[in-house]
Amino acid sequence: MPDFLTFMMGQYEARVPTDRLYAKNHLWLKPDGNRYQVGFTAYSVRLLQDVYFLDWSIDPNTSVHEKQEIGEIESSKALSSLHAPYDGRVLEFNEQLLDDPSGINTDGYGKGWLFHFETQAQPLTPEQYLKILEAGWEDTQRMIKGQIN
Amino acid sequence: MPAPKKLTVVISQHQGRNPAKRKLEEDLAVALMMNSDVEVSIIPNLYDLSADHSGTLFLKALRGDLVVLGWLYPRAIQWILDRNGIKGRTGTVLLRGDDEDEEPDDRPDAIGALNVPDRLLYCIDLKASTDSQDFLDEIQRIVDETSQQTVDLMSWIQGDPKQEQLERYLNPKAILEADSGNNGSVADAENDEKVRRRWYPVIDYDRCTNCMECIDFCLFGVYGVDFLDRILVENQDSCKKGCPACSRVCPENAIVFPQHKTPAIAGADGEVASLKIDLSKLFGGGDALDMAVKERDIELVRDGRDAVGTSVGLRQRSACGERDELDDLIDGLDDLDL
Repeated sequence: MPDFLTFMMGQYEARVPTDRLYAKNHLWLKPDGNRYQVGFTAYSVRLLQDVYFLDWSIDPNTSVHEKQEIGEIESSKALSSLHAPYDGRVLEFNEQLLDDPSGINTDGYGKGWLFHFETQAQPLTPEQYLKILEAGWEDTQRMIKGQIN
Repeated sequence: MPAPKKLTVVISQHQGRNPAKRKLEEDLAVALMMNSDVEVSIIPNLYDLSADHSGTLFLKALRGDLVVLGWLYPRAIQWILDRNGIKGRTGTVLLRGDDEDEEPDDRPDAIGALNVPDRLLYCIDLKASTDSQDFLDEIQRIVDETSQQTVDLMSWIQGDPKQEQLERYLNPKAILEADSGNNGSVADAENDEKVRRRWYPVIDYDRCTNCMECIDFCLFGVYGVDFLDRILVENQDSCKKGCPACSRVCPENAIVFPQHKTPAIAGADGEVASLKIDLSKLFGGGDALDMAVKERDIELVRDGRDAVGTSVGLRQRSACGERDELDDLIDGLDDLDL
C-alpha cells in the first residue's frame, strides 16, 4: 500500500496520506490512542494558501455536534469559519499554532495539527475521502471562480 | 440677475441619536451653509421616508446635479433614490470607506435603471470618514467638476408639491435649531409627519438581470413586476424585519438591505468576502442558500405558516443542462493559479 493517494487540483498534486482517516469538511483525523489528532488536508491548505490568522470560538474540552462552528481562519487569499468534523468533543488545541499558524502551511500533516478530538463516529477512509474530492472538485472550482469574478 | 452656480447637497440624517453622528451632520451643514457654491438641505433618514413624505417630494422636485450624503453605502443611497424616482447618472465619488472598492461594475446582462435624466447623482457614505473636512473637500471637488448653470433658490425646485411644504428643507439652520431641542429628526421637529424605521429591499438595476429568483423565493409578496415585466419591490412593508433571505438567493447580489450588518448585503461594493475567497462551505459551514432557506422558514413560522425548507421557490441550479458563460469560464480554470 502506498504512503499516500493523490488528487490532482489542476496542476497541483494534493496528497492524501494513507496512515489516517478523514472528514468530508477536509480535515484529517489521525488515530492517537482513543482519540484523534485533527488537521487540514493538503487540499484545504492549497485552497487557503498562507494562513495568518486562526481563532477558536470554543474552549478546550467542549462537546460539539457535526458542523457546529468552532472557529475561524484567514489566509492571504481566503477566509472561512471552521466547523466540527463529527459529533464529539474537542479536547485541546495546538497552542503553537495560535502564536504562529504558519505550521499549517509548512507541515500540515504533522506539526500543523489543529486539535485533539474524541468521537464515536466512523471517519472516512483515504479512498472514501478521495472519492469526495473527485465528486466535489467541479463544484469547488465553480464556487471559487464565482467568487473571483 | 445672472444665476449663481450652485450644487445641491442633501444630508440624510442618521436614524439614531448618536451624538458623534449628529455632530458630523451639523458640522457639515453649517460649513456648507457658508459655502456660496452649494445649497444644503437636511432630510430624515432617506431609507425610512415614505413615497409621500415631504422629504421625498423635496428630493423629487430637485433639478440639476445632486449630492446626497447618508449613513449608508453609496449603492444603497443610489438605489433607494432610484426607487423613489430620484434618478441620475452615477457621479464618481472619490471619498469612500476602507472596505469599498472603487472598481465600477460593468455588467452587460443587467437591465439598468429606467428613465435616467441627464444629471449627475453623487452618493456619499458618511461612514467613509469621521473628519468633516474630508467631506467638505470632496464636495468642493464635485462643485469644481460640475459646472452647472443653476437658477436662484426657489425656481430650482419644481413640480407638484406646495412651496411651503418644502420650504423648510431650504432652511437647514431652522432644522438644526429644532434638532438641538429635545425633538428627534427633522420631521418630528417640524410637523406631524412620522418617520418610522422600515425594513425592505432595494434593487440595484445595474446588477439585476430580471431572473425572477427573488420573486419565486420570497413568500411574503414583497416582489412584483411592472408594466414592462421588470422586477420591482411592490409591497415593501410586507418585508420581514431583519430577514435578508432574498438577497442571499440573488445570483447577481443585486438586492440591497441598506441596514443589514453584512456589508455585502448592505450594499458595499467590494466587501471583505469578495476580496477574499470564502471557503466556509468547504469546511462545513452552510452556504448562502442554506441560510436563506432557514431565514425564510423562521419568518413563515412566525407568521403561523408552515416552514417550506428548500421545497419552494428554488431553481434546481445544478440540474440545469444548458451551458452558460460560467461553464466556459470554468473550463479555463486550470489556467488560474490555484
